[in-house]
Amino acid sequence: MIRAGASPGAVLLCVAIVACQKPVKPGDPVRGLTKEQRASFDRGKVVFDSTFTPETGLGPLFNSDGCGECHEDPVKGGVGDEVELHASAFHPPVCDPLAAEGGFVFQLKSTPALKAALGIDSEPVPPDATARARRTTPVLFGRGLLDLVPDSVILSYADPDDRNGDGISGRPNHFVDGRIGRFGRKALVPRLDEFNDGAFSAEMGITSPAVPTEETVGGKPIPPGVDAVPEPEIDQEALNRTNDFVRLLAAPTPLKASKDAKRGRKIFDDIGCTGCHIPRLRTGASPIAALSHQEVAAYTDLLLHDMGPELADMCLGEATPAEFRTEPLIGVRLKPNFLHDGRDTTLEQAVQSHGGEGAKARDRFLGLKPAERVALIAFLKTL
Amino acid sequence: MKALAITAVLLSALLVQAPFSAQRTTYTYQGTVQAVHPKTASFDLVVGVGYALRVVQMHTSPVTQFASNGAKMSLADLKPGDIVRAECRMTATGLVADRVAKIEPSGSKREPVQ
Repeated sequence: MIRAGASPGAVLLCVAIVACQKPVKPGDPVRGLTKEQRASFDRGKVVFDSTFTPETGLGPLFNSDGCGECHEDPVKGGVGDEVELHASAFHPPVCDPLAAEGGFVFQLKSTPALKAALGIDSEPVPPDATARARRTTPVLFGRGLLDLVPDSVILSYADPDDRNGDGISGRPNHFVDGRIGRFGRKALVPRLDEFNDGAFSAEMGITSPAVPTEETVGGKPIPPGVDAVPEPEIDQEALNRTNDFVRLLAAPTPLKASKDAKRGRKIFDDIGCTGCHIPRLRTGASPIAALSHQEVAAYTDLLLHDMGPELADMCLGEATPAEFRTEPLIGVRLKPNFLHDGRDTTLEQAVQSHGGEGAKARDRFLGLKPAERVALIAFLKTL
Repeated sequence: MKALAITAVLLSALLVQAPFSAQRTTYTYQGTVQAVHPKTASFDLVVGVGYALRVVQMHTSPVTQFASNGAKMSLADLKPGDIVRAECRMTATGLVADRVAKIEPSGSKREPVQ
């Protein structure tokens, strides 16, 4: 904070320090950590980057043998080329996540022991599923900051009845226990550490103190002898370390904007993209000073929006098949494909795929002059 | 086989939140009602952590207290999609609820029922 009356020299020094700060690269920890916090980040990265085997608890059903196997490009915590399978049954207004039948994550791989016992390569999707959905790997950068955005901030952007008449009617999703969700493509999960703890079970078949029992195989118990590793397969310390790493992963500094990109930023706002992709969110209080009361270039409102029938797939929590959480655009420049299922390979395609509440902004995008479209995409490529 | 599967689901779900202490006999679950079974006086509750969801089967008894926003209700008033907090105990036949309170999701107009 520069106080009134500070000497010009002090002001210049402060400006120079800010200007000379190196940009935060993908995979870097947030700035301003204590030595101890930085050490926690480094220790957590080791767990995040470790590979599990059936002998260390992997499976018997799993999507990946380690966090870093999917979140790997361009560095640990980034994206991956894996696409996983989710499914649920929608009986309006109720969504059945098929939890009694192994859902809603249906693992695509099985250990050799499970295959020998049941002859399956993946978890079967039950016939009562009404929809299957493909899900790509999201980047994890800046998620610790999103975790700290107060619920009240998320709710302040909600307009479920579209009272302001702008055609955008965001609403929060809720977890199964009624808390407001924010993580995942359908904004189901309230807290980052819960997302990580659940992922050990749902993605790797690793039990922990948070989820101490193996999932069933399509609702049936795991055959005897298939997974001999005693529960829990990892301890609380391993969970804590993983959570430390993910929580402290920084949002990469946006690239220096070209003249085009600066123009594109204004167009992004002018055509209404910022109606859902809220440029900046502020975190609440945290015991970690580097995360506390920080502004993050999130480009999301963490709310559900109806994206139209073309993008619709499965329900989850209170989210209907067509509703998705506004994807944070942190690190979007690093992604090889876009949207929840990776259907688009360019940002321009992704904008064009927006329907429902995003249709007006999409149509304005389509009505731009070619140079204006180029400028908007140039802006997105800085994020 | 179906009974076995349900039992397995029940036990695995129980261990999601239940502590391991042998002395502990009462548990509290908060989750979404998946199904109500009037014939067996029970209901299924979805609980979990992140994407790891499990189903708990909860029996009721004639003395189970049901409440919604301070008003009395019954098992018949529960419906799939409701969010409830259930205080229960482990018995030889499974979990039996002592109190079931329907609650409103966070951020909704009504405050949660305590």
